[in-house]
Amino acid sequence: MIAKLDSAPLGMTVRIARIDWDILSHDEGRRLREFGLMEGIEVKPLHRGSLFSREPLALGIGRMQVIIRGRQAAAIAIEPVEVEPAAAA
Amino acid sequence: MTGAIPTIALVGNPNAGKSSLFNALTGARQKIANYPGVTVERKAGHASLADGRPAALIDLPGSYSLTPASPDEAVTRDVVLGRQAGERRPDALVVVVDAANLDNHLCFALELIALGLPTVIALNMVDLAERDGLTLDPERLAAELGVPVVPTVAVRKRGLTDLLAAIDGAILSHQTQAAAIPAPQPTDVELHQRARAIARAATLAETPVRRWTQRVDAVVLHPVAGFLILLALMFVMFQAVYAWSEAPIGWIEDGIAALQGVATDTLPDGFLRGLVVEGLLAGVGAVVVFLPQILILFLFILLLEASGYMTRAAFLMDGLMAKVGLSGRGFIPLLSSFACAVPGIMATRAIPDPKDRLTTILIAPLMTCSARLPVYTLIIGVFIPNRAVGGLPVGLQGLVLFGLYVAGIVGALIVAFVLRRSVTKGSAAGFMMEMPRYQWPRLRDVAISLWQRAWIFLRRAGTIIAFTTVILWLLLSFPKAPADSEMRQVDYSIAGRIASGLETVVRPIGFNHDIALALIPAMAAREVAVSALATANAIDAGDDEDQVAMSLGERLQGRWSLATALAFLAWFVFAPQCISTIAITRRETNGWKWPLFMVGYLFLLAYAAAGITYWTAVAFGLG
Repeated sequence: MIAKLDSAPLGMTVRIARIDWDILSHDEGRRLREFGLMEGIEVKPLHRGSLFSREPLALGIGRMQVIIRGRQAAAIAIEPVEVEPAAAA
Repeated sequence: MTGAIPTIALVGNPNAGKSSLFNALTGARQKIANYPGVTVERKAGHASLADGRPAALIDLPGSYSLTPASPDEAVTRDVVLGRQAGERRPDALVVVVDAANLDNHLCFALELIALGLPTVIALNMVDLAERDGLTLDPERLAAELGVPVVPTVAVRKRGLTDLLAAIDGAILSHQTQAAAIPAPQPTDVELHQRARAIARAATLAETPVRRWTQRVDAVVLHPVAGFLILLALMFVMFQAVYAWSEAPIGWIEDGIAALQGVATDTLPDGFLRGLVVEGLLAGVGAVVVFLPQILILFLFILLLEASGYMTRAAFLMDGLMAKVGLSGRGFIPLLSSFACAVPGIMATRAIPDPKDRLTTILIAPLMTCSARLPVYTLIIGVFIPNRAVGGLPVGLQGLVLFGLYVAGIVGALIVAFVLRRSVTKGSAAGFMMEMPRYQWPRLRDVAISLWQRAWIFLRRAGTIIAFTTVILWLLLSFPKAPADSEMRQVDYSIAGRIASGLETVVRPIGFNHDIALALIPAMAAREVAVSALATANAIDAGDDEDQVAMSLGERLQGRWSLATALAFLAWFVFAPQCISTIAITRRETNGWKWPLFMVGYLFLLAYAAAGITYWTAVAFGLG
């Protein structure tokens, strides 16, 4: 089974393997790319939801943090980062 | 365009510190208006170039790219392309980028540079980037981008002279240059790759992200603790609105009483004195008195927004809001609606989903806006005892006020839940936004915004409220009751007779003649209810010395039961009594359908809530 971003554990850096653009709307896909979320990029899930829900998801990407919902995270397949590059935050 | 004042547009991503830079360049003298045909705010000001020539500056809405996702972003695109009606194409662009987030912000910068206008990059917040362990090479960045790059720290006014000189230089050198040849449009993925490559080239040294923002977030965004902190913050905010405003309210009251004294002494007895003392000063004074509370509320909202906390609050609330079919995006407009529903409804433009947005607009008036505060404060001050609750440092009055706010919020959530399953049915809304870094709010930026809000409120008090109170005074004063009449002047007057008609409708829910009278002019704005009560009270007191000495509160206490007072409070939780809100809803929804729907459902709710409150209170022997 391919791991998806919506079920990724918090605090661990992962790499985006593939994004299923077809299940996202045109605008959602574009905004993801504007945030810099695309294939090959490393992200770190940081916070998930509050008292009422396991949504949304806060992601660290580079020096930025972005918020997306579980539905968008479910379109993002991830893979482990085997070798931590020295410069990674 | 030789000789004309050059127009310079500030443009950049959200959270790039654009507004701070705009404030630093233009100072407090800004003109805020709307772009024609759309309700997107146009902020303009003036700056002096290096040689003293003036330049017009405009602050464009934050955007991620030239492909808009909202009306705000569409304005940004249209202005820089010269397509915006009523706006000349800018002579130069200042692209504001966050020095600590070049990877992302350079994408939009590249798109803007490709337009071929004279462009300068403001490498903003370089101090924060350095704090985060990032050392950049502005010259290398300028070489890679092909335009001047000026490091700035807007909040400390650093780099502004260099920035203005660079803009001047860019405009001059551009005039001698041939027009740029448009390059083939790169895809957004290509743009990102280029942005990342340039950012990497311009970065001299980089240490890992500082941990403290993450440490704060670990608590503030904690699923349980974070939520409690949010609740506590909101509670403190509403207590402060009460506690801190007491002294300044006293000063304003004394000032108005002094003015009334002066007017009474200088004006001859008769129509004019009545109009000024009982009409204008009593009515407008009763509203202006609430300026301190409104400013305290806005101060909190502005501080939360400037510090970066507001987006955290949106994150925490998104889960709850998703359950009623809204998104965390709606939290910011709804929280703004606590100050005033008009800017709140305008802020819904940031919500991309149309159904989500419409629902948020429809429930925005349920947030307790500052115009209700005068009504709540008056009634609570008169009818709720001022004592601590069970030995806690929490006043009963503050608790009741908090309860009224909660009633509005719970009502709004229920209404949203119902609407999203009926009239505004649609697919689940999305929620995608950037989480800004924490920052110390800058006193100057907060002060400018606070001043703008105070001015809007005072202008309202001086125009719409002054006008309606004077009209009401006239309607209350004429025709004059004959000396031998059994009826009070207030009941005998035109307004009194209209109110008597309305009273038959609202008597079942415990409303008396005073309230019926106050409800009519309060259609213009809720706080007018208070000035209407004050004006009617002043006329009713007439020349009787003892009556005049009694405050409005003392008189209400004698005339209203507790059940009636509580029903009156419940009414104002829901009642759509604000012309401005109805007007802005019409504009934002492009028609009369939704504002009429809103007014209808809110009046129904208000009637039901007031009725249930009254009947329950009477059943408990409070009638």
